[in-house]
Amino acid sequence: MLDVELMSRYVSPINPAVFPHLTIVLLGIGIFFMAWFFVYEVTSTKFARDLLKELVVSLVASIFMGFGVLFLLLWVGIYV
Amino acid sequence: MKSLIVLCLLLQLTFCKTNTDTIDKNIVNAKIDRKIDISSHLVKTSTSVTLENKGTSPVRSFLFSVEPLLKNSIAFIGASSKDDKEKLDVSLTTVAGHSDKTFYRVTLRSALDGGKTTVVELEAIFSHILRPYPSEIAQAEKQLVVLEANLYFYSPYPTTSQTTTVVTTSSNVESYTKTKPVSQSDTSIIYGPYEDKSAFAEAPLKVHEENNSPFLTVTSMERVVEVSHWGNIAVEEHIDMTHTGASLKGSFSRFDYQRQQDGLASIKTFKTSLPASARDVYYRDEIGNISTSHMREMDESVEVELRPRFPLFGGWKTRYFLGYNVPSYEYLFFKDEHYALKMRFIDHIYDDMVVDKMQLRIILPEGVKNIELKIPFEVERQGDQVHYTYLDTLGRPVVVLNKNNLVEQHIQDFELHYTFQRLLLLQEPLLVVGAFYLLFLVVIIYVRLDFAITKDEAKESRMRVAGFIDEVQNAHDRRSALYQSYDDAINKFKSSKDAAAFSAGRKKIDADYKQLTQQIQNIQAQLKTEGAEASEKVAELQRLDSLYKEQVGLAIMAAEKLVAGKMGRQQYLDAEAATTSKCDDTYKKMESLRATL
Repeated sequence: MLDVELMSRYVSPINPAVFPHLTIVLLGIGIFFMAWFFVYEVTSTKFARDLLKELVVSLVASIFMGFGVLFLLLWVGIYV
Repeated sequence: MKSLIVLCLLLQLTFCKTNTDTIDKNIVNAKIDRKIDISSHLVKTSTSVTLENKGTSPVRSFLFSVEPLLKNSIAFIGASSKDDKEKLDVSLTTVAGHSDKTFYRVTLRSALDGGKTTVVELEAIFSHILRPYPSEIAQAEKQLVVLEANLYFYSPYPTTSQTTTVVTTSSNVESYTKTKPVSQSDTSIIYGPYEDKSAFAEAPLKVHEENNSPFLTVTSMERVVEVSHWGNIAVEEHIDMTHTGASLKGSFSRFDYQRQQDGLASIKTFKTSLPASARDVYYRDEIGNISTSHMREMDESVEVELRPRFPLFGGWKTRYFLGYNVPSYEYLFFKDEHYALKMRFIDHIYDDMVVDKMQLRIILPEGVKNIELKIPFEVERQGDQVHYTYLDTLGRPVVVLNKNNLVEQHIQDFELHYTFQRLLLLQEPLLVVGAFYLLFLVVIIYVRLDFAITKDEAKESRMRVAGFIDEVQNAHDRRSALYQSYDDAINKFKSSKDAAAFSAGRKKIDADYKQLTQQIQNIQAQLKTEGAEASEKVAELQRLDSLYKEQVGLAIMAAEKLVAGKMGRQQYLDAEAATTSKCDDTYKKMESLRATL
């Protein structure tokens, strides 16, 4: 067992003070891509759809939404 | 596992001699100065013991005993040497032939040689010894309690001289044992000195006094510590408390309580000290927030004044939750993959607190391994459990610790060591990312499903045509961009006069242009088979495009002539103006046609 005296204090990898900013920026970008994806899905016909474009836009949207939602949880005090 | 424990116990009973002691006949308590403090609901005894070694061989430790009747009430025992106030090691032990009594072995810091004396301070805290008498009182009555204890210091060694001081709550003492010599002054009753008492001497000591101090007992509590590696430690305490003083006789009158300020023995409010870094403090119960609380932030702690929903009279209970967050850097330490949580086993609830039963649950992050516990006193460690909360997959490990009969002296740090891979922090965001991507994939699949019972040919055709038109528009936009490329190439050629580079560049643009034109041509053929009127418009677009291309060809020729010197400057400018105006004209037509497709 290591001695606590030899250890350093643990701080969050991301400063909790920037959680609100991260949430707003990431969720903002995420919602933009998500909206683009859904608008594309409902407006394009089955003959004009491009699968690659759909997959790429939704991947970008889900990455930003995922991290955005995580920081939203942390911001409101749900420390996951 | 079970058989292993049984085996251990057997071994301990038969072979293990470390926890059995014998009474050393050479030790004598030369002087005992004992103080029994009954001014709160606890009985706190502090005894100054002057030990004398009458033998010749040095003594390393001595025994301290507790009366059989009190052994279940003892909450805490501590010892320190008088000279340097250093804490001495105290451990539970047994003595052959005295199985009814409880013994504690106090290890001295340095061996006591023959003929020498040393002074040791012993501190013992007992809970639930003071008995309310009468056991039932009306709202306005005062609370009286009885202390029944041993007049002499209970020790396995003979005592030469001893005095006992009982510190009472007030000077209002109903009665007390009058074994001479005894004297009472203000809030203390002094017994003794009594000379030459044998080992395990006992005589009744009874004090009946008024004691209106809050007889508040935490009957059971659960303290939950949830560690998050995102930089937070959440603490929540679920507390069941009872007023264990004289129970209330008759009915409770809120009117009298407000008007006359009676109910001396009742509990209106109490104060809890939280760590100085505590944030987001909440005080609630099953039906929600309890608004009657005040918080004060001080330098060393956060003080919360809690007022239960109703005053507590004897026998009344209440239950509440108190929670707060602390930043991780206060209590969590790390080195590489090794982490250590160092925080209080129990925290302050109210002054002179008594906790009958407590459970500490430490919820660690998912993926924690090699959990090791270090704690300054004995606790029962239950098997680890699993806790599920937001964004969990396999569940978080929970360390569960139980301990009974705790007092303020148990506010001590424990250490919990574990290992954790930092990369596992990413598991939670990736889980959300995965969930979103799954949703999008479902949408992508859903829009490709066709639930129509009949096939609507006209609609299909319209959709196909719309798709083709889209493609034409895209291809045409790309082709328009190529016109610009032609212009740029010509301008570059005119300034650099590099014919080879120009023809190479032109070839590339030509190839792209041809491919796009062919593509539009194909779509136009498909549109024709669909029988759409757009087909003619696309044909018109193609015609306009070839006109434009013609002009581009002229412009290229003129530029080549100019560079070769076969054309005068003025002549070239006129030709360029003509082609440009024609190009602009055609371009405008094409754009308006594209928009009406």
